[in-house]
Amino acid sequence: MRLELHWSQVETFTAGTTTRLVGKALNVNLDELRALLEADVRLQLVRLDLTAPGDSCRIGRVVDVLAPRAKVDGGEDFPGVLGQLRRAGSGRTRALTGVAVVVTDQQLENPGSLALIDMSGPAAALTAFAHTHNMVISAWPAPGVGRSEYLGAIRLAGLKAAVYLAQAAGDVEADAVEVFDLPAPMRVPVTLQHLPRVAYVFQIHSHQRPTGIDEGILYGDPVRRMLPTVVHPNEILDGAIVRGFMGRHATTYAIQNHPVVRALYAQHGHTLWFAGVVLTVAQATEPERVRSACLAAGLVAYVLGADGALFTKIGGGAPHVDMAQAAAQCEALGVKTTLIVEDMSTDGSQEGMLLFNFPGLDALVNVGSGQERVMLPAMESVIGADDMTPTLQSALQTSYGSICGAIEQVGASRLMALVQ
Amino acid sequence: MQTLRVVCYLNQFFGQLGGEDKAGVGPQVMPGAVGAARAVQQALGEAGTVVATVLCGDNYVAEHPDTAVAELLQLVAAQHPDLVVAGPAFLAGRYGVACGALCAGVQTQLTVPAVTGMHAENPGVELYRRQVYIVPTGAEATRMLDEVRRLVSLGLKLARREPLGSPTDEGYFPRGLTHNTLVDDNAAQRATAMLLAKLAGQQIVSEVPLPDFPQIPAPPPIKELRHTTIALVTDGGFVPQGNPDRIEALAATRYGAYNIQGQQQLDPGQYDNVHRGYDTTYVKQDPHRLLPVDVAREFEQQGTIGKLHETVYSTTGVATTLAHSARMGREIAAQLRAAGVDAVILTST
Repeated sequence: MRLELHWSQVETFTAGTTTRLVGKALNVNLDELRALLEADVRLQLVRLDLTAPGDSCRIGRVVDVLAPRAKVDGGEDFPGVLGQLRRAGSGRTRALTGVAVVVTDQQLENPGSLALIDMSGPAAALTAFAHTHNMVISAWPAPGVGRSEYLGAIRLAGLKAAVYLAQAAGDVEADAVEVFDLPAPMRVPVTLQHLPRVAYVFQIHSHQRPTGIDEGILYGDPVRRMLPTVVHPNEILDGAIVRGFMGRHATTYAIQNHPVVRALYAQHGHTLWFAGVVLTVAQATEPERVRSACLAAGLVAYVLGADGALFTKIGGGAPHVDMAQAAAQCEALGVKTTLIVEDMSTDGSQEGMLLFNFPGLDALVNVGSGQERVMLPAMESVIGADDMTPTLQSALQTSYGSICGAIEQVGASRLMALVQ
Repeated sequence: MQTLRVVCYLNQFFGQLGGEDKAGVGPQVMPGAVGAARAVQQALGEAGTVVATVLCGDNYVAEHPDTAVAELLQLVAAQHPDLVVAGPAFLAGRYGVACGALCAGVQTQLTVPAVTGMHAENPGVELYRRQVYIVPTGAEATRMLDEVRRLVSLGLKLARREPLGSPTDEGYFPRGLTHNTLVDDNAAQRATAMLLAKLAGQQIVSEVPLPDFPQIPAPPPIKELRHTTIALVTDGGFVPQGNPDRIEALAATRYGAYNIQGQQQLDPGQYDNVHRGYDTTYVKQDPHRLLPVDVAREFEQQGTIGKLHETVYSTTGVATTLAHSARMGREIAAQLRAAGVDAVILTST
């Protein structure tokens, strides 16, 4: 399967009367985009704000961040959620660097986690989203719209905006074309058959919180009781997977630029053979968990024929253990594993970092502690959380876990909990 | 840069008061750098001045554990130091424990940074390495100046509030505390490199130290269920309506003991569930899915078991610290034992 990402670099992002990319300047007609988003009857009012790297600005109540992408040649964008159902991962896709869409939560009677993005200051070093020009969507629910409906509506608004912005590149020539071309798992040239075969086991949702019927995650499917499924890595990069409504420490942006898929592609054919991806969900009950771990390990060892596997999780404690059980099953079948985990300690002690103890799971990378406290300075402006402006404008103490993008459980971030 | 005020702590031997015959002398203070503290001054150079040396006999501290440290702290506080350097104590056990205790007190009570040094087998290391930065040294004072330099260089970083690297890079015994740090490669790149190294059979260094939990032997099996009193205990978040003990939804520090006397079954209307780590829909519908009081009562009436204990214990096992888990377990076990309970059915989620 071959996917081409046609990248255009954006260096300035301004509001204007037309939407188009000229050189590295992206101009956007906010009224036109707002009308497009307000067409959703679940939303009463939509507000769009722009903020740039270096601004003394704090974005509040962040739910998710998306990367601008748009299929060309008749492909479907985010198939099954926004576009029609069609396989993702091949053909050409327009992509913008230096721009992101930030979706905020304005259903104030039931605020979810309060994630922040600081566009400057010390927290800016921790997150990719302080280095993108951000279009922030604040959307208010129509009367009578429930929580799940609202979350579905704002996520869809984010996806529409991501497509709308990428389409602004029109047919201008891309600054760079990135090619992702990986053959079917068994088609290895003779000269490369000595390379270790590496699979990626990607946990895409945790059923600690059951998905709503309209909470499409994999090609629009809410992945209820999903059994381990093999997909091509290009599908992940090309909109087949969007994050659930409440994914902890994971953004759709990170999935669209999946760092594990990229890292394995970068080594593919050189130091390893990228054998494919197995998608899993963290299950709610013990039999489901064991069944899923068995099936995932079987796919990794006997279907993809992998020598090694890399694991990531989404969510908190149960997914952490769920991932470890699947990895332990892999090790039992002779597949070497590495796991990306969050530091789960709630008191900053080394003993609490892990929630499992399986022999063989001895290669662990960590994405830092979400619980550790951090002090953030005052900012001149606040967007996305009007009701909290005074609080968010002043200096405040919060946790690393509250800084959107500082901890990306799929491995995109550079924070690490160091044992001292 | 401002010259730091440094106070040193030494025992009778390194303070040149005398040998074992002087081990009983009480706390005292001398101006400037005395005895081994002169090495500290040499290592500090222009960066700091040893304004005083506090001394005490090893036996005095060991025999007055409660008062000696308090007395020493008063002497230290009077000097208004920016940094306290204790020892190094090498393999001297009483001295090492005194250095650890003093540094811990200096940090918590005077909020002044402190550093000490000792040999890995000094009992002071195991007692104080979690609280105090301890630099590893040899067993004897044969390379004193070299080791004091390492101690001082770590101490200066602490006094200047500079970020510290890993225990290996900085040279101190791991304290077992985690601290977020920014590194060059993202986690996916690090994980890929680690996996390749593991596949190649190379030595790998996990970013999470592997746990070393003690093995807990299983108690002997119950032979006669008919005469056994059985208790139900859960970490699944079972609480009476209103959560009267205010058990935390996660990272619990509390548990509840709930009387079920006279209840053949648990009435779902009277109970709730506060656990934030799993989908609690089904256990709220029917609490017996978590605490099987209904079946236990049947067994009790049939005589299959001797008795169902009339108190159930509950907490939430999600993001609970190991320290609180162990404490709550000990407390619950002690109460069960005192009540004559023979066996427990522990339900988790």
